[in-house]
Amino acid sequence: MIALPAALGIAGGIAGATLLRRAWAERQRERPDLIAAGWAVIGGTILVDAAWIGWIRGGALAVVAVGIGALIVLIRGRTVKATRAARATAAPCEPDEPSRAWRGALKAILAGPLGLAAAVAIAYCAAAWVPGAPPTRVLIGGLTIPIVWALAMIWTLADPRLMRSLAMIVTTTLTGFALAALQGPV
Amino acid sequence: MTKAAKTDAPRGWPLAPGTVRAVLNGHGILGLAFAALIYLVCLTGTLAVFAGDIARWEQPGVPVANQLAPGALDRAVGAAQAKGPAQATLYLSLPSPAQDGASILAYTPAEHRDWAIARDGTLTERHTPFSEFLIDLHIALHLPRTWGGMLVGLTGVALLSVLISGILAHPRVFKDAFSLRRGGARRLQEADMHNRLGTWALPFHVTIALTGAILGLTTLIVGVLAMLLYGGNTARVYGFFVEPPPAANAAAQPMPALAPLLLEARRRSDGAAPQQLIIERAGRADARIAITSRRDRLLVPQDTTVFDARGRMVTDRHPADLPAGVKLLGGIGQLHFGWFGGLPVRLLYGLLGLALCLVTSSGVTIWLARRRDRGRAVPLWERLWTAVAWGQPVALAFTAAAALVLPTYGDTLIWLWLALTFTLLLVAGLSRRFGAAAGSIRARQAVGGALLGLALFYLFVRPVDLSGLGVEAALLLGAALLLRRPATHRIA
Repeated sequence: MIALPAALGIAGGIAGATLLRRAWAERQRERPDLIAAGWAVIGGTILVDAAWIGWIRGGALAVVAVGIGALIVLIRGRTVKATRAARATAAPCEPDEPSRAWRGALKAILAGPLGLAAAVAIAYCAAAWVPGAPPTRVLIGGLTIPIVWALAMIWTLADPRLMRSLAMIVTTTLTGFALAALQGPV
Repeated sequence: MTKAAKTDAPRGWPLAPGTVRAVLNGHGILGLAFAALIYLVCLTGTLAVFAGDIARWEQPGVPVANQLAPGALDRAVGAAQAKGPAQATLYLSLPSPAQDGASILAYTPAEHRDWAIARDGTLTERHTPFSEFLIDLHIALHLPRTWGGMLVGLTGVALLSVLISGILAHPRVFKDAFSLRRGGARRLQEADMHNRLGTWALPFHVTIALTGAILGLTTLIVGVLAMLLYGGNTARVYGFFVEPPPAANAAAQPMPALAPLLLEARRRSDGAAPQQLIIERAGRADARIAITSRRDRLLVPQDTTVFDARGRMVTDRHPADLPAGVKLLGGIGQLHFGWFGGLPVRLLYGLLGLALCLVTSSGVTIWLARRRDRGRAVPLWERLWTAVAWGQPVALAFTAAAALVLPTYGDTLIWLWLALTFTLLLVAGLSRRFGAAAGSIRARQAVGGALLGLALFYLFVRPVDLSGLGVEAALLLGAALLLRRPATHRIA
């Protein structure tokens, strides 16, 4: 039974990706018509699958199947060249930034435990303020932790200014706890 | 994402070129720091999607009953009570479109036993050490469950972070969405594969990373939220999602017949098909039988009817009664493991799981190739990464072969796998034959040979049976793809 909606998802992915490929292949002019059509086919495929076998179940299946369809278009359109040996030594290389172990350690602390603390604070805030039954609020809080922690990792590892990262993390943590405390016991 | 693909940000991209470079830098640091763990968790996760298929390959001839005779379930439960550990909770899975056959698991925290149920209710014990080894390696790295789970959860967070930063660091994500060059300079080839697979499979990869992070970090998440919200009372948090145990009464009480309970559960749940029975304290007056039923259009079974030891209905819950949080929690496992649609979904998950392995592996290869292009090659790291990326399939193939020969020595598989992993790292580290591109070709052939060898070895140690053919075919297909000559000698 599920094979048919899966096949539809793959076919929709192939059709949508083919339109997008054609649109983005034209480097000289924009093709908004093809881009819109490509995304519409992909979105429509997901909607049809979702309506067919259940909104969440069908949506999850379609997202996976459309991805496979797009990868089929990608692989079929690959260009193949003769393998070229790697250059032993190329032009003078860009020097690495000076290696400073203490910066690495501080960034690891910022991205790791301090990022987790900020994520917990935001999760606490979300659990306190999100409307709904306690299980829903707890689950929303739980979902928030990995997402905010991942975003904190991006920020702290990208920001070259350690003090700014630290200020951001500390401010986020304190704000999260303060807002949660304002709401009172759950 | 590669440097070539990012600096000329198109109009409308939300990040300035300098910020894009900084995000790319962070993407590289985090990706390299967690590469080996991400790769191992993704590879074992991809295989774990097929754990049921692998289990049937390991132990062919185990009954797969899609219909059960009248009274078969009662006989199966009685036999599991007699053979299983004392006071075990029984988890009885019924055949469904997503999972062939019926099975029963007798579980206590100290011990568990697992049987397949034949049509007449007789039990056949499952000895599937390799599939169990794979699952434990995926969810806890064979470490103590809490710590292993947290490490895997942290890996999931790191993966989620690099997936998001990978997109943020790639301003030409749409314009380059179909550029896939094979051959030519190795770095560009790997970069194209990394970026394109990472883009088109992104929704799936984000889903897997997020759900995996939540599953792995459950203990931590529940602990901190319980501390902040309920004064450290974790039982209260778990109580939102799990029925509290009934009052204890150890007096003997025969189990009620299960068929009438199944009929009653079906009647109460609007025709939903019973999928699982959880029987606690079987044979006692405080026994509880929870029947969970599945509706075709729902991702997660949401109808649960609970009966007591005399077969009287205790509680009855249906989708409309459940808070969104309970439904969401049930969906996390289904989405992560691809349990919601049978073989078609498992195949799709398998392909995109392999794509995630390739994205991870090529990310490291890009870094190594870039250093080589700049005249600062790190041959030792090149060989070690070859040993990780190509060595793990070899180590897993040898571990599977050992499990086929010694199915009752499942506990030792982790030591064998560890020994193989360290040996491969040592050999690659010391041998100059496994560096850069040429080493990858040799390693690829070694993986192909290992898969072919495992498929052939299987034919000597197990009878040929329909239930093992799927995995055999997958092994042979994998070997054929890996052993063929890459088509990179043509000019497009």
